[in-house]
Amino acid sequence: MKLYRPATILVGLLFILIGGVARLAGPDQVYGDDSNLKVVHGTIGEALPYAGSGSTIKVTRIKFARKILSGDGGSDDKPIDTNGIFVAVEWDAVRGVKDPDTFTPTLITDGDSVYEKVSDPNESDMSFPDAGFASTGAIVFEVNPTDLKGLTLRLKPSMLWNVYNSEVRVDLGVPTEDIAQQMVDHADDQYVVNDSVTRVAS
Amino acid sequence: MESLDEVIDAMIADRVIHRHRRIWLLLIALVVVAALIVLATGGWKEKTGRTVPTLDAPATVTAGRFEFNFTKAEIIRKPKGEYSDAETTLRVYFTAKNIDSEEYSSESIQSDLLRFVPGGGQDLIKSNGGSCRGDNLNWVLVYGLPPEECSTKFDVEPDFAADVVEIGVLQEHYDSDNGALGVNEKPYWHNEDPAAVVRLKPTVVIDDGKNK
Repeated sequence: MKLYRPATILVGLLFILIGGVARLAGPDQVYGDDSNLKVVHGTIGEALPYAGSGSTIKVTRIKFARKILSGDGGSDDKPIDTNGIFVAVEWDAVRGVKDPDTFTPTLITDGDSVYEKVSDPNESDMSFPDAGFASTGAIVFEVNPTDLKGLTLRLKPSMLWNVYNSEVRVDLGVPTEDIAQQMVDHADDQYVVNDSVTRVAS
Repeated sequence: MESLDEVIDAMIADRVIHRHRRIWLLLIALVVVAALIVLATGGWKEKTGRTVPTLDAPATVTAGRFEFNFTKAEIIRKPKGEYSDAETTLRVYFTAKNIDSEEYSSESIQSDLLRFVPGGGQDLIKSNGGSCRGDNLNWVLVYGLPPEECSTKFDVEPDFAADVVEIGVLQEHYDSDNGALGVNEKPYWHNEDPAAVVRLKPTVVIDDGKNK
């Protein structure tokens, strides 16, 4: 076996190059740093551009509820109860031509809580339809009623490559704890989670 | 076509191997004998036995992001039906509370955090994850809310029977990775290791599909 064959040298060079590319961005940016994310702020009723893809997302309204029920469940499906409170976020998404990045929707608060969507019913979801279409739907989160101040919907794109990207933050209108308490007190008894509905984008 | 270099290389290799043939054979024999000795004396891996506490139910275990309180276990037997084989599952009931005071984030109980310890040197059996709120698998537990009633299932042999079952609880740690390897040093929940073993006395339940 010879060590000076051109192919051997090329493979060696390739390894060095791969190592160099991974280090180009600097160690704290190679994995999961947020410094390359531009934050797009907005409020309920505002169509916000998502990740420069021509797609927009709009929160149409939010509802507080004590129980949730699947929209197309059978008659023996029982509503799901909670020790906290459910927040249903109803959304309207218009898809652009470019395929938008997939994202993880979470609710964040001033108290640093991170709420994730309920695992059941599976109608609770948020996603973009195919190009040329728009859809509406609802996503439900189980939350702690004592930590609701500054409730914000956050859509963070999941990126395989480190690119300059943007995340969406929608202020859900809970500026103080008193308002949060009022919303919890006036929560609906039950919220029926319906499947998302797709239409042609006008 | 062979170059002169390769011919010379082959000649040298040939001579070296032939000159030290006995030593080579001896060395290989030694390695084989050493491997046999290690195998005969119980394997290379050092056996340390159990290093975590064993608790009797009802027991509270604080493990990483969750606080568990184990209550009871059931061996659920599904008899052989006309079109299905007999099945047995081990179901363990507990309450779980999200105590993630690092990220305050909602999280479901991952299937590899709870494991059934069959004993006798057998491999551990993974659970199917935490089911809460009326058997909703992978229910997301919210930080700051009171404990939820949950359960988890383990697939066991159809003829499984036991007076006492042992459930291993694993805990995650909020650590960062080694920055010298070029990764982000921001800590996150990972690196599961055993936290405790809980002993429960299971009751046998026959599931004939009638009490649904």
